[in-house]
Amino acid sequence: MIQTIAFYLFAVLVIASAVMVIMARNPVHSVLWLILAFFNAAGLMVLVGAEFIAMLLVVVYVGAVAVLFLFVVMMLDIDFAELRAGFVRNFPLGIAIALVLLAELVLGIGAYQAGNLDLGTPAGDAAPMLGESNIENLGALLYGKYLFLFETAGIILLVAMVGAIVLTHRPPKTQRGHQHIGKQNARRPEDATVMKQPEVGKGVEL
Amino acid sequence: MDYSISLRLIAPEILLSVSGLVLLLVAAWGGQKTGRLVSILSAAALFGAGLMLFPTLHLGVVGPDTFAFGDQFRADAFAAFAKALIYLAGIGCLMVAPTYFDRLKAMKPEYPVLLLFAVLGMSIMVSASDFLTLYIGLELNSLAAYVLAAFLRNDTRSAESGLKYFVLGALASGILLYGMSLLYGFTGTTSFEGVRVALSGEMSTGMLFGLIFVLAGLAFKISAVPFHMWTPDVYEGAPTPVTTFFATAPKVAAIALTARVALDAFGTQVDAWRQVVIFAALASILVGALGAIGQQNLKRLLAYSSINNVGFILIGLAAGTVGGVGAMLVYLAIYVAMSLGSFVALLMLRDENGDALATFADISGLSAKRPALAWCLLALMFSLAGIPPLLGFFGKFVVFQAGVEADMVALAAFGIAASVIGAFYYIKFVKVMFFDDASERSVADSTTAHWVLLVVTTAIVSPLGYLVTPSLGDLTDKAASALFLLP
Amino acid sequence: MTEFFQSLGLTYEAAWAFATLSGILLIALPLMLAVAMIIYVDRKVWAAINLRRGPNVVGPFGLLQSFADGLKVFLQETIIPSAANKGIFILAPIVTFTVALAAWAVIPFDAGVVLADINVGLLYILAISSLSVYGVVMSGWASNSKYPFFSAMRAAAQMISYEVSIGFILICVVLWAGSFNLTEIVNAQRGHGFGLVNGYVFNLLLFPMWVVFFISSLAETQRVPFDLTEAESELVAGYQTEYSSMSFALFWLGEYANILLMCSLNTLLFFGGWLPPLDVDLIPWFDIPGIVWFLLKTFFFFFMFSWVMATVPRYRYDQLMRLGWKVFLPLSLLFVVVISGWLMVTRYGA
Repeated sequence: MIQTIAFYLFAVLVIASAVMVIMARNPVHSVLWLILAFFNAAGLMVLVGAEFIAMLLVVVYVGAVAVLFLFVVMMLDIDFAELRAGFVRNFPLGIAIALVLLAELVLGIGAYQAGNLDLGTPAGDAAPMLGESNIENLGALLYGKYLFLFETAGIILLVAMVGAIVLTHRPPKTQRGHQHIGKQNARRPEDATVMKQPEVGKGVEL
Repeated sequence: MDYSISLRLIAPEILLSVSGLVLLLVAAWGGQKTGRLVSILSAAALFGAGLMLFPTLHLGVVGPDTFAFGDQFRADAFAAFAKALIYLAGIGCLMVAPTYFDRLKAMKPEYPVLLLFAVLGMSIMVSASDFLTLYIGLELNSLAAYVLAAFLRNDTRSAESGLKYFVLGALASGILLYGMSLLYGFTGTTSFEGVRVALSGEMSTGMLFGLIFVLAGLAFKISAVPFHMWTPDVYEGAPTPVTTFFATAPKVAAIALTARVALDAFGTQVDAWRQVVIFAALASILVGALGAIGQQNLKRLLAYSSINNVGFILIGLAAGTVGGVGAMLVYLAIYVAMSLGSFVALLMLRDENGDALATFADISGLSAKRPALAWCLLALMFSLAGIPPLLGFFGKFVVFQAGVEADMVALAAFGIAASVIGAFYYIKFVKVMFFDDASERSVADSTTAHWVLLVVTTAIVSPLGYLVTPSLGDLTDKAASALFLLP
Repeated sequence: MTEFFQSLGLTYEAAWAFATLSGILLIALPLMLAVAMIIYVDRKVWAAINLRRGPNVVGPFGLLQSFADGLKVFLQETIIPSAANKGIFILAPIVTFTVALAAWAVIPFDAGVVLADINVGLLYILAISSLSVYGVVMSGWASNSKYPFFSAMRAAAQMISYEVSIGFILICVVLWAGSFNLTEIVNAQRGHGFGLVNGYVFNLLLFPMWVVFFISSLAETQRVPFDLTEAESELVAGYQTEYSSMSFALFWLGEYANILLMCSLNTLLFFGGWLPPLDVDLIPWFDIPGIVWFLLKTFFFFFMFSWVMATVPRYRYDQLMRLGWKVFLPLSLLFVVVISGWLMVTRYGA
């Protein structure tokens, strides 16, 4: 019973917050709703027993990706009046798209009820469970069966990194503002300061 | 799992990735000045990897002996043929790049390294026999390609083309992934073999959706109509050596991949995808031919020309027979030579200041100024138009022949009619060069590397090319049989 | 505890709910008390190092100072700036506080004394601690004021930077322990050094990682010398500038609960958790309850936090970023490689 309650709680919240992502006027609010959606998706993952994936979802998407989203979106300067004007202008187009989507939905449900779509026919020949926890299972698959793809995915990430650096890194034009960390660390108090015991009423010779 | 056999099968890929990593370190420590050295070493690596393919290609090895990592990767003759083309195109693109970028003071050692990784991605794509391998190879290739398109980051057109390519490419990847997940959901497996088995018999709507989405994603990568919109913009904006690359190697990889997916994974449902491929082929031929007519910019013109050519290549695939795939591979080989040659010629069209002669107005009367270049271009353009006795005619001929043999006479007839429309703008190209008044722009001399490439590709497309067609046909037949192991 | 409630005649579900609720209260209430006392300790240690007296008026030795402060903020008026984004402005301190409490669910205070003994305990902590940045970022943005906003930007960059190396350090520990479960990680540390001492800190390969972890935990909790988010000489009070009353207090409670969490993580991951320092029964070590050892060790680390706070000047922002990305990240990556290589050779026989 607890699982059922939890499932409906998470599922309803995922959908509700996903709706709010697109309904929210303020993009910062959108990102925050998105975070809530991620969170509840992680909750659903826990319910199906994929706790490792759930944690990764939170660590990667909520902890890193969404923070960067927020970081960028926070700096936007939004003119809400103009947003509303755009809304009025694009309203007919929006209605048209909504109608198309509705028609597709009706068709899809119709096809489903006609029995043409049979959802989920797993062959049941998935890899056998190798260990107890799903971390061990995932590890065994990634470093066993899918070793080649795993390593190649590493190269993809490397290429992405090299690409980002190639496109954005500019060599410093001037030396201004350039730090010599070694020099800073090598500097000792003796080099920079002197201890003096000045007598009262007399100045200090520097 | 025994890795030693698998590792031996992916030896070319290992060589490419290791040399890519080492050259990246050379680039990191050596700085900007190592650009030329890294280019040469990358070309050497590609050449070495190509040599490794030789036994497979020569003996026409197919079957379970070529399956690596539990049939996620196949190093068979089909893959070897495509890889050989890709590596050759890659070497060509490496040869022409340093001069171009040096003139703009933008030569960086990362260019050859990224190109090497892009080629690695394509190499994986053509060998893929699992949807996961397919996707990983495709992304590796695409990510490197996005960066290459925007490589001249201070040039707004280059940046624009990179961004456009990235946004649309990401969308296409999304469509592809969506299709793959549908297929996985409905078949319970990601391997081509498993999907093939699961698709035999009655196909559900969900499977059909998955199949269509996968083909749509791949159609974007080969720039077949209606997923071609990005091609002219990206080809025009990207630096010309990069455009040369885009027009050759990734085309080969994506088409070979599409053929393998269509005939292997969807091999039991040929009727389901044939109409899609026929539509894409016809539309590509038509849009490519009509779209090119109004173009003034030479790179845009060649972009439409490549869309047009993809249509002809797809006729071979639509036939769905060994002969069709063989014809497709022959056409691909000839197409690579033709587009490599014509883009190298575009690279050579520069005035004394190094500015490109980019439009028809710039090249009018070229024959008076640089006759050799003009004659080479003439041969390449006539070959692209498919005018006998140039080799481009042979390519079109084998494709139409395969179409007719597969009872698709109407398709072949339409293709022939459309190629006449296409001939218009190729001939216009020649007319402008030979019969119009000379423009005021001077044309600078070119480096030896450009001349070598241009002469070699022109020699291939000239009637001399018929000397190699028998052995080429032999190789493509062996390669094509790799896709038809099962009934 | 579920069995106890079941024995009172409740159904399993109800008993489970009651047990969990009482477990949460049993952790949260003492934690709040501990936070109140630890703020007092912080100020006392700081004062002692500065040769001052510190709080000494309210109660004996000033022990009740924190409670007096709490009462004061409780009676204050809550002020919400008119230009603030009201909802998020109110939500931010609540998020900070909730997240700071949520992480404690998987901390084992003694063998078996843990609210949720889950398989992925360490990942859970990593996930939750990556959330603590949201409170800061939300408050900084919602305040609609420039200093809080700067502070929010700094916080976002800083916490993401240090989380990366913290993640790698945790991987080193996990590799050695062979589990993500915190109880098992502590058990794996029994007799780790020559069968004598408990704790991974006595391991030559893990000791440098502990040093990096300790410094990173200072940065992660935004303590001196990495307190750039509330650098009072530059940003007034950082993201807390516009807050008052209870919302301000919630920030403080959350912040100190996070600091205690990091101290207890130092204890659990490197110093043997609830185990006594030596694995030898010379004096009756093992008769002292494990929770006492755990609290003592945690308190020791808190003392070190205060000590650092009183003696070290603040970093510049570029130095902070340099330390995170150019020193800690390569170092921790290197140690992941070295440690996994070493384990592969010695433990798993290459």
